[in-house]
Amino acid sequence: MSAPDDNHTSADNPGHAADADTHTSADNPGHAADADTHTTADNPGHAADADTHTTADTDNPGHAAGTDNPRAADAPAPTVSRPPAALTVVGFVALGLLALPVVGLVQRAPWSSLPTLLGESDVLDALRVSLVVSLFAAGACVVLGLPLALVLARRRLRFGGVVRAVVMLPMVLPPVVAGTALLFALGRRGLVGQWLDSWFGVSLPFTTAGAVVAAAFVALPFFVVTVEAALRQAGDDLDEAAATLGAGAWATLLHVTLPTIRPALAAGTALAWARAVGEFGATLTFAGNFPGRTRTLPLETYLALERNPESAVAISLVLMAVALAVLVTLRDRWMPR
Amino acid sequence: MLISACGGGPHGHAGNGREVVVMAAASLIDAVEAVDGHFDGSPGIVAVVAGSSTLLAQLAAGADADVLITADAATMDRAAAEGLVRGAPVVIAANALVLATAADNPGHVTGLGDLARGDLLVGLCAVEVPCGALAQRALEGAGVAASVDTLEPNVRALAAKLSLGELDAGLVYRTDAAMAGLATVDAPELHSHTNRYYIASVSADPRPEVLAVIDGFTEPGGAGAEALLTYGFGPP
Repeated sequence: MSAPDDNHTSADNPGHAADADTHTSADNPGHAADADTHTTADNPGHAADADTHTTADTDNPGHAAGTDNPRAADAPAPTVSRPPAALTVVGFVALGLLALPVVGLVQRAPWSSLPTLLGESDVLDALRVSLVVSLFAAGACVVLGLPLALVLARRRLRFGGVVRAVVMLPMVLPPVVAGTALLFALGRRGLVGQWLDSWFGVSLPFTTAGAVVAAAFVALPFFVVTVEAALRQAGDDLDEAAATLGAGAWATLLHVTLPTIRPALAAGTALAWARAVGEFGATLTFAGNFPGRTRTLPLETYLALERNPESAVAISLVLMAVALAVLVTLRDRWMPR
Repeated sequence: MLISACGGGPHGHAGNGREVVVMAAASLIDAVEAVDGHFDGSPGIVAVVAGSSTLLAQLAAGADADVLITADAATMDRAAAEGLVRGAPVVIAANALVLATAADNPGHVTGLGDLARGDLLVGLCAVEVPCGALAQRALEGAGVAASVDTLEPNVRALAAKLSLGELDAGLVYRTDAAMAGLATVDAPELHSHTNRYYIASVSADPRPEVLAVIDGFTEPGGAGAEALLTYGFGPP
């Protein structure tokens, strides 16, 4: 990946969140009716761009992802200003820091015994649990996250800043803290969990469903932030036009809004899924660790490191390959180059 | 006193004539914490606490530590065999497994055989750590096929989930049950299943302050030995 030297790369992750947040603060006061007046104050180039290209944006995933270069609209042939040489050097050092662990893992890879290591029943069990947990978690992110993103993007919320902080909290919370918090909320003696237990006989901790909850909790913000940013970027002019033409709220959503942000829906789902696959701390704390039930690939990696480091390296390679594949696909298809 | 659970080692402390970095099995956390500052002229102890097997993995990865204390002989033997510790291991304490339940025994557990009940949430230590290996031997010896719901990475994590009431029953060390305020149920099958804690210097030629800490655990009346007794560990 050509990461740090490319100003679009921040679209992948927390940078993306920061971007969405910038919109947030600007959007709150005057968002109600029109998207251009207030955004202009905050980020002139960006707003002008969004404003003039609203319809064109629908076909341009890069714009939908909300990370286009603010200078694109008002500077026909932008000259790229070079950072100071010293910073360039530090930048490449940072790139090395990011790339080094990948190299370290790859050079330790037991290539010849890889099929054997990955074919062990422990690993296959963990793979099965990981697939089930991550796919259900990604599904939950879409089902729950899309309405949340719509509310955040299209409704004026009284405490919008606080609400967004809550939404993004799992992105920055240590996963072990997330797991502990989930125990106190949804555990058998937890705030809500005690009622789940006494009314429905449902106890989430130490079950596959609990692992899904843990993974969905940490993955949900990645979906919501991606989709909300796209909704804001797309604006609601088209939605209003559809409404003017007599389309109902559901018809507008299904035939206008969602097709407009399709790339962001795909990107958000992929990011959330990748985050769910990698979840470790919240899973271990909230869902425990039992083979075939809650022991996902990251948990298997952790245990294997103490038992059979080669196996840990093999599983890590798979997880890293999955993560890279998701990011590269995102870049190729749904994000600006 | 700094406690660094599971995470990376406290780099930069060991080897510079300052704190003594003690890597200790999870069940020893309170005892090791208690001896900090009790060694004459000693600059203090930095405790790194995790499951014994995790400690070995950290040492193997180059963690900076002066002393290793494991919760069983097997793990210490492995550390010695892999060259992770150079000093001669000495036994310093004993412990035993107990059948522990949440404070009010909500699952009405009456004996070891109840661990086979499918309606209970049962936790054990992962077999990689000494308490898990010991539990496995005890259950096999008693002919109990436990219906396990989670294998926790160290005994403290297991005790915490029992004390939160998220698990109905589990096998933890006697000392951890006491520290976490867990109810225990008498299980005669467990009486013969004890473990011993071993201490060893990482270096073959330890600094004087490292030796002082080790002696404090190995010599009767030493600060470490006294702390172990205070926290309910049995004499070696």
